[in-house]
Amino acid sequence: MSAVTVSQAADYAEKNPDFIPCYPRPAFFSGVVVSIVAAAAFASWLPLQVSIVTVFLFAGPHNWFEFRYFLMRLPVRFGRSRIFFVTAFGGLGVLTVAYVLLPFIYNARLWSDEAWSTVIAGWNTALLFWLGLLVWLRSKQKPRWNWTWTIPVGLALCSLNWLGPDFFSLALVYIHPLIALWFLDRQLRRTRPELLHTYRRCLCLLPFVLAGMIWQLSQTTALPDTNGLFWRITQHSGAQILPQVSSHLLVSVHLFLEMLHYGVWIVALPLIGDLAGVRVWDLKTVPVARHPRGFPRVIGGLLIAALAGVVVLWFGFSVDYSTTRDVYFTVAIAHVLAEAPFLLRML
Amino acid sequence: MKALLFAFCFVFSVSVAKADLPKPQQPPQRTAREVLHTSLEISTDPKAYEAKLQISESSLKELRAALDSAPGGNGAVVGGISTSPMRTMVAGLLMFMAVSIAGILLARSTSFGRTQKTVGALVLVAVLIGVAAIITRGNAGPPGSYRWRNLPQALAEGKPTFGGVDIEIVPDADSGAHIRLVMPLKKQ
Repeated sequence: MSAVTVSQAADYAEKNPDFIPCYPRPAFFSGVVVSIVAAAAFASWLPLQVSIVTVFLFAGPHNWFEFRYFLMRLPVRFGRSRIFFVTAFGGLGVLTVAYVLLPFIYNARLWSDEAWSTVIAGWNTALLFWLGLLVWLRSKQKPRWNWTWTIPVGLALCSLNWLGPDFFSLALVYIHPLIALWFLDRQLRRTRPELLHTYRRCLCLLPFVLAGMIWQLSQTTALPDTNGLFWRITQHSGAQILPQVSSHLLVSVHLFLEMLHYGVWIVALPLIGDLAGVRVWDLKTVPVARHPRGFPRVIGGLLIAALAGVVVLWFGFSVDYSTTRDVYFTVAIAHVLAEAPFLLRML
Repeated sequence: MKALLFAFCFVFSVSVAKADLPKPQQPPQRTAREVLHTSLEISTDPKAYEAKLQISESSLKELRAALDSAPGGNGAVVGGISTSPMRTMVAGLLMFMAVSIAGILLARSTSFGRTQKTVGALVLVAVLIGVAAIITRGNAGPPGSYRWRNLPQALAEGKPTFGGVDIEIVPDADSGAHIRLVMPLKKQ
C-alpha cells in the first residue's frame, strides 16, 4: 500500500472539493480503543507527571482547534438566530467575567465561607439559567422537538447545586471533557455516518475503563501534594472536596477525561470533521471568511491572535507553570461555556 | 413560561437579597463546635502497655478538611451537602418546582398512556420523598447511642465495638487541654 502524506492529501483535497477521506471501520475502531486504553494507562500510571506534560503541550492547541471549529460553525448572517447568538455571546461574556472575578473576590475575604458558597451557587444558577434560556430559544427554532423536559431537569440541577455548590462545580470539571465526545458524535452523524455506529460502540467501553480505574486506584495512597504544583493539580481534581477518595484516583480519572477531550479536539475532529484533508490555516475553509459578504481579515486576525495566545501560554508554562496553570484554568471557562451554544446548534 | 421565569427569579432573588435571613444574633460565645461525624472502633489489646488513638490517613485528611471549612478555620473551601438553612430552603423550593412541573408535563403529555403516566407519577413521588428525606435527614438511622449500648460488656469480653462519633473542638478551658472520649452510656 502506498503511503500518502498529509500534505499530498491536502493538495488532492484542494484540487477535488468533493473528496472525502475514507477511514475503514476496523482502523477507526482500533484507533479509538487504543487511544482510550492508552490514555487510561498513562493517567493511572503517572498521573501528576502526565498531567503536567499534557496540559503544557495540548491545553493551548486544543483551544485553538476548538476556536477554529466554532468559527467554521458560525453562520455568515445570524438571521433568525440573532437572538440566540446575542444571548449566547452575551451570557458567555458576563459569566466568564464573573468567573474570572471570583478568585479576586475570594482573596479579598469579603464574605464568610457560608456566603462564599452562596456566591458559587449563584454563579452556577446563572449558568443553568443561561443554558435553559439557550435551550428555550433553540426549541423555538425546532418546534418539532419537545424540549419542555429540560425545565424540570434544569430546576432539579439548580436544587442540587444549592445543596452542594462545590460538588456541582466539581461535577462540571468532570463532565466538561465528555462534551467533546458529544461534539464528535454529532460531527460523525453529519459527515461520516458510516462510522457513527462503530464510534458509539467504542464509547460503550468508556464506563468499563472508568470502572476499572476506580477499582484499581480507589485503595491507592494519596498522591504527594507537598509542593505547590502537585497541590494545585490534586485540588483541581477535587481532592479537598472529596477527602475520603484517593487523590490518585481523582487526578487519574480527571486526567484520563482531559486526554480524551484533547484527543477529540486536536486529532479526531480535524481528521474526521470538516477539516479533514484541508490545511488548517486555509481561511477558505471557514464559511464566515470565504463568503463574499464575510470577514476574512477579522477571522484571519482572530486565528493569528489565538495562535499567539497558544505561544504565550507555552512561554508562561515554561516560566511559571503553577501560576500559568491557575490563570489558564480560570480563563478557560470561556471555552467551556462556548461549547453549549454550538452544541445546541448541532442538535 | 413567564410565570415560571418570575417564580424562578423570585426564588433566586430571595437568596441574593438575603431577605430570608434571620435577624442579627449576638456574637457567638466560644463553645464546643461539632466539625465532623465519623465512625469509631473501640477495641482492647492485652499486649499493649499504653492506650493508643489510631487514625487512618483518609480520616485524618477528612478531619483536616472539616477543620479547614469550620468557622474559625483557615477558610479553605470544602464542599458538603448543605448545612445552611437558607441554601436548604432554596434547594427545597427549586426541587418542589422541578417535581411539580415534571408532574404537570407528565399529566398533560399525550404521548404517554394512562399506565405510563401512573408509573411516572409514582416514580416522581418516590423521587420527591427520597430527596426530601435526604435533604431533611429524615432517613437517619437509630440514635448513635444504640450501637454503644453493649460497650461495657464488649470491653469486658475483649471484643471490639463499632459506632458513630462526633468530633468536637472544645475550648482548652473546658477540656483541660487533653483529648476526651465521651460515650453515650446510661447507668446500668
